[in-house]
Amino acid sequence: MNSCTKCGNTHIIIRRKQSGQSLCKECFLASINEKVLKNIRKYKLIEKGDKVLMALSGGKDSVVALNILNSLKERNIIDLTALTIDEGIKGYREEGIKIAAKNAQKLGVDHKIVSFKDYLGLNLDDMMAKNDQIRHACTYCGVFRRWILNREAQEEEATKIATGHNLDDETQSIIMNYLEGNINNLVRIGPKTEAPDKRFTVKIKPLREIPEKEVGLYAVAAGLKVHLSGCPYAGESFRWEIGSFIKELSINHPTIMYSTLKGFEKIKTALKKEITIKGNLGVCKRCGEPAADDLCKACTFLKDWDVK
Amino acid sequence: MKIKVIIGEENLDQKIPEGCTVKDLLKKMEIPSETVVVKKNEFIIVEEELIQEGDTIEIIKVIYGG
Ligand SMILES: [Zn+2]
Ligand SMILES: [Zn+2]
Repeated sequence: MNSCTKCGNTHIIIRRKQSGQSLCKECFLASINEKVLKNIRKYKLIEKGDKVLMALSGGKDSVVALNILNSLKERNIIDLTALTIDEGIKGYREEGIKIAAKNAQKLGVDHKIVSFKDYLGLNLDDMMAKNDQIRHACTYCGVFRRWILNREAQEEEATKIATGHNLDDETQSIIMNYLEGNINNLVRIGPKTEAPDKRFTVKIKPLREIPEKEVGLYAVAAGLKVHLSGCPYAGESFRWEIGSFIKELSINHPTIMYSTLKGFEKIKTALKKEITIKGNLGVCKRCGEPAADDLCKACTFLKDWDVK
Repeated sequence: MKIKVIIGEENLDQKIPEGCTVKDLLKKMEIPSETVVVKKNEFIIVEEELIQEGDTIEIIKVIYGG
């Protein structure tokens, strides 16, 4: 009960309520590494020779993912680079960017920093000042980040984009899209995106089955320097409400996130047969990126502000 | 008994009763245990761990909503 289930060490750092397993620091870190690498193989997230672009915010999730992916780089299985996007959130983002750079440097991973300001002419704070509270900051942030990530990946000739999404994030997305009736988006959720054509770089989520708490524990246990702070814009979004609700439920029902994910995987196959995802993407008239309509989502927003 | 509690930049002196666990301490301080990693005298511990006189408890918030 008070010793590591795997090696007997009496200094345990986690007791998994889901499985009853207790683990010491070394066995915990090893178990996460194994689980992530196992999922990479199982879902074919990475193939030998891939050039992976890690979306590195400096937060615990992307820093942990970078460290685990680096083990594949060290074994010469992949080429790894990191990209940090400076959204321009005063008093919050600066620290994360510094930490992201330090982590990349420590591992010897090439690192590039790009900003909303340079790309779009506006940073997120500017957008929110113009926005009159019509849309949540997370909407702009998400759309523009995806847009920049895709462009940068194409420029770097990356074959995969890795993001730090964890089990909590993924469960939130499933529940959110379901509750909003957004079934087109729901069926797209998965360990890797299916890029409709070459203009999209495939996105992968290596930490998708790791609970957020365990990603945090990994960062602390491995002594990684991570940016631990909340985004000032994160509060009061629908995602935040759903996230709090699921975390609350998980206290008494520790397997609920995992079962939500696994249950979704089962119905997804059937759902996809019924729902045809809009194919034949055109090109955005403004920026040339793939778009479902005349303009891509990023350009729809930008046009409203009439910049660049 | 007296212990030291570190949260972020803050250094607090706390008084807790005998037989107090990490879980009890977090409850008393109104910190949700599912959002933090706790170290006792620089080692990560589980929330069932007993706290003793003179211990230094570091509470590291790893989950920020959403
Ligand atoms: Zn062990
Ligand atoms: Zn566009």
